[in-house]
Amino acid sequence: MTVKLAVIQFAGSNCDLDTIHVLNNVVDGIEADLVWHNLFKESKYDGVILPGGFAFGDYLRAGIIAAHSPAIDEARVMLDDGRPVIGFCNGFQILTEAQFLPGALLRNDSLKFICKWVNLKVENNTTALSNKMNIRDVLAIPIAHAEGRYYTDNLKELEENNQIVFRYSTENGELTKEANPNGSLENIAGVCNLEQNCVGFMPHPERASEAILSPKRTTHGILFFNSIVEFIKRRIS
Amino acid sequence: MNRQEFQVEITLMNKPAARDPVGETIQKDLLAKKGYDMVFNVRSGQFLSINLKATDENEAKKIVEKMCNDLRIFNPVTQNLTILKVSKS
Amino acid sequence: MTRVNLNGEEVDVELTKWEFEKVKELLGREPNLTEIGMASVMWSEHCSYKSSRPKLKMFEDAEANYDYVLAGPGQDAGVIDIGDGYCLAFRIESHNHPSAIEPYHGAATGIGGIIRDILCMGVRPIALLDPLRFGSLKDNPHSQWLFKYVVKGIADYGNCTGIPTIGGEVEFDESFESNCLVNVACIGLGSIEDFKHAPSRAYNPGDYVILMGGSTGRDGIHGVTFASRTLTEMSEADRPAVQIGDPFTKKLIIEATLEAVKTGYVRGLKDLGGGGLTCATSELTGDGNTGAKVDLRKVFTREPGMNSYEIMLSESQERMTFIVKPEGLETVLDVFRKFEMNFAVIGRTDDSKILKVFDEKNLVVNIPSKALSESPTFKREEKKPDYLDDLLTQKTPKSSLGLDEIIYRLVASENICSKEWVYRQYDHEVGIRSVVKCGEGDSGVLRIIGTNKFIAASVGVNSKHCFLDPYEGAKGGLVEICGNIIANGAKPMAMVNCCNFGNPEIPESFWYFSQAVEGMNNFCREMRIPIVGGNVSFYNEDDVKKTAIKATPIIMIVGVIEGEDKIITLPFKKAGNDLFLIGETKAELGGSEYHSLIYNLQGGIPPKVNDKKAKATWDFLFDLYENDLVKANHDVNKGGFIITIAEMCFNNNLGAELKLKGCYDENLRDDEFLFSESVGRFIIETDPKDYKIIIKKAEKFGADIKKIGVLIPKPEINIKGLKLKELNLNIKQLKNLYDSTIPNLMEI
Repeated sequence: MTVKLAVIQFAGSNCDLDTIHVLNNVVDGIEADLVWHNLFKESKYDGVILPGGFAFGDYLRAGIIAAHSPAIDEARVMLDDGRPVIGFCNGFQILTEAQFLPGALLRNDSLKFICKWVNLKVENNTTALSNKMNIRDVLAIPIAHAEGRYYTDNLKELEENNQIVFRYSTENGELTKEANPNGSLENIAGVCNLEQNCVGFMPHPERASEAILSPKRTTHGILFFNSIVEFIKRRIS
Repeated sequence: MNRQEFQVEITLMNKPAARDPVGETIQKDLLAKKGYDMVFNVRSGQFLSINLKATDENEAKKIVEKMCNDLRIFNPVTQNLTILKVSKS
Repeated sequence: MTRVNLNGEEVDVELTKWEFEKVKELLGREPNLTEIGMASVMWSEHCSYKSSRPKLKMFEDAEANYDYVLAGPGQDAGVIDIGDGYCLAFRIESHNHPSAIEPYHGAATGIGGIIRDILCMGVRPIALLDPLRFGSLKDNPHSQWLFKYVVKGIADYGNCTGIPTIGGEVEFDESFESNCLVNVACIGLGSIEDFKHAPSRAYNPGDYVILMGGSTGRDGIHGVTFASRTLTEMSEADRPAVQIGDPFTKKLIIEATLEAVKTGYVRGLKDLGGGGLTCATSELTGDGNTGAKVDLRKVFTREPGMNSYEIMLSESQERMTFIVKPEGLETVLDVFRKFEMNFAVIGRTDDSKILKVFDEKNLVVNIPSKALSESPTFKREEKKPDYLDDLLTQKTPKSSLGLDEIIYRLVASENICSKEWVYRQYDHEVGIRSVVKCGEGDSGVLRIIGTNKFIAASVGVNSKHCFLDPYEGAKGGLVEICGNIIANGAKPMAMVNCCNFGNPEIPESFWYFSQAVEGMNNFCREMRIPIVGGNVSFYNEDDVKKTAIKATPIIMIVGVIEGEDKIITLPFKKAGNDLFLIGETKAELGGSEYHSLIYNLQGGIPPKVNDKKAKATWDFLFDLYENDLVKANHDVNKGGFIITIAEMCFNNNLGAELKLKGCYDENLRDDEFLFSESVGRFIIETDPKDYKIIIKKAEKFGADIKKIGVLIPKPEINIKGLKLKELNLNIKQLKNLYDSTIPNLMEI
């Protein structure tokens, strides 16, 4: 069975084509369409991905203008009936601004854009983006953002509800300050909603799915996409 | 001389003839599309609130002007500095 | 500035008396103000290359002499056929003067401009590279300010448009203190079909002329100054000399343009850069041998009340002109509508060969299309500067520092140390093509998805070398930049350059330019490297100190690697492997980082290129690659061969045991051998079992090669066989110094 995903192209998305490439040419079991944000109709799709980039230039606040796009109204239908709604990087920023996900993403504590490979520790392996991983797995994956410092004033609730999906860590899985690239609260890199069908995180799995692009020839990015497929299959069956 | 505490509020904005893509995008892609079509212009800028000690309001204002110029807190080539308000804090 | 009598009134024009008469002659009448403005823009140094063109004619005709060159100099970008149906477009340009005034927007709009040049060729921009020059950072807040905001401007603009910045170089030298250099390069990738769809010509009468993108404002009208009555009441202080970049709109322009080209209805394409609408319309019609009627009032303006002069000369950012087939007009406009881009059909082409511009009913411009595109040229005088002879005879002073201390200092010098502080701010991975990323090799290597083909690109030149000998310096730059991509396994395919020099009206400054052009020309002809484009930035001269920048003929080389297994990277791989130094080390310390850092000395004998040896070295290396004999490679560059070795040790916790006895000319001093910047050298790592075959191949090609040591599993470099003493260097300490220099200077 092939699952059908939409990758939304907002004005200013720039990881859209990269994500489409990986979904259609690298990962098995997915057929993905690139859909312009004004033209998106949810009914055709099993899930939706909001890709990285600078939707509407990130002007005013990263993600805020895109959060008002008609595509988000469509995505809300999917959110409510349990289909996966996933955001990477700018997509995560849009999901928090649209209040699909709790918290906010602030400017990096260095006040600079940061492009580098980091390590990610899996904290919850039942979500739409992490069910093919093990708890405490450490994955190699790159980040590239200026506004990725996760913040919430409701940390306790997130922890109690198991909504923290990924944290920045060292190669050995330690949650140190040095391993935290942007000053995120409690090293949080990604979170989910209560139903676990909506997940967002800052790194770029589409840049970590082919060995040739990875410094250590890893392909951990594929696990994220396989998790989406698995989530959809379990949901349907 | 008695030094008192003042608050100086300033804005840094692009000069009128220089574009402001941030304001334009907020107007065109957010407000106009969400029904606020009576809004025809938005300009963005930076707001700084500065607390300092000075002998009087005039001196407070002068210090802020001087430091903004000397330290290139704004670039006079593209931006204007406006002092919105000087008040005792 | 010349004062002339125009229709009975005295006005100042940015044309020489002779040029003004020439305009009258071309028109057969008195020009009006708008026409004068157009002529002065088109004939400015920036647009017309009037000083440089006579020299640049020396370059061989790339399109005629190389069958894989699809577009050469004179077009918006050079284009080469790289096989499998793909072509690469690339170009480099300067944005020095705007960046010196407003580093953030100056650099950002520089990126914006170079992206448009590539887009004009109908292909997708896929990579940016930026060579930069500043004054020294140490104790210099102004240089720090420029550096910080130029990097931020490049980062914010490039990152937002989704084009990775994959390389660049920075040099700090006091000669750039008041004239920083911001050169920007872009590479585009597309199918040869895409390229053929979008020539920068309007060759068919009856096509629509469409302006698309940002609105036209009064910004950037500064090439020409008239009596104030022709301008609006706005004062000069309110008129921003620098443009504000809008990368978000640019991203949409990229997508809308590529989608429009894909419809097949676009017949011509041109960006609006320097000279604005004037340049775009006259070049499109002039090069296409057509004419056009354009209605200025159709142009969407940002401010009310703009006159024809302002609209024709505005250099507002983010605009493109399309020449569209009549039957495809609606299809193309629908693409623009999808992306919510502003557009206006501003006119149509015709066969009149005359550009007519109307302001409502009034004919405000009536100029033969070719009149402005073929500008007059100037022959400039050249003279070798008197100070050079003294500089060339300067000797290395005695130093009380030990060689090891000098090495530790060199590795921490601004010009050698890690540039990670810069490239971490650039998204160098977007596009998922970056295979050899910033900091991993001498050049940036990108894959071409769907093939087993890779491209490598590098930019730079050594300004300190060029200052002492621009002819050899330019050649040396070519050897080095070709060496960068060769070190990663790529064959150099084509070159573009960006010549940054002083005032061409000063004979000494023009001499530097002339010598550099000659050096590039001779070397490229010898090596069969086509020159497919260039840009000249003159007037990088400090008016107060009356000194020019150090001559900086930036070179960009693009090459191709056929196959993933042929990519070579910089870090050492395995303890026990052999180390070879390829190429000859001579007593060439002139312009070296060693001289400048340790003795504050600019002079000495700079490196000289031996064309035949360079060629032999390259052929030898490619033969080794063919047989998979090279495990790591790094070209020897600033700081000399010992710095090169250190850089190769930084990644994999390896060290080196060097035995240098007999490895160098016995007439050389230790410091000459260690720190000379002789060009055309490489350090390679190989398997010891291949020793004999490598030596044999070197003999066959006539390449100089010496085994200098082996890799050890300890992070230290032990050096034996020097004349003075043995050295032991701690790699952790070297790496720490290498990494911390720029953060220490910038993060305070």
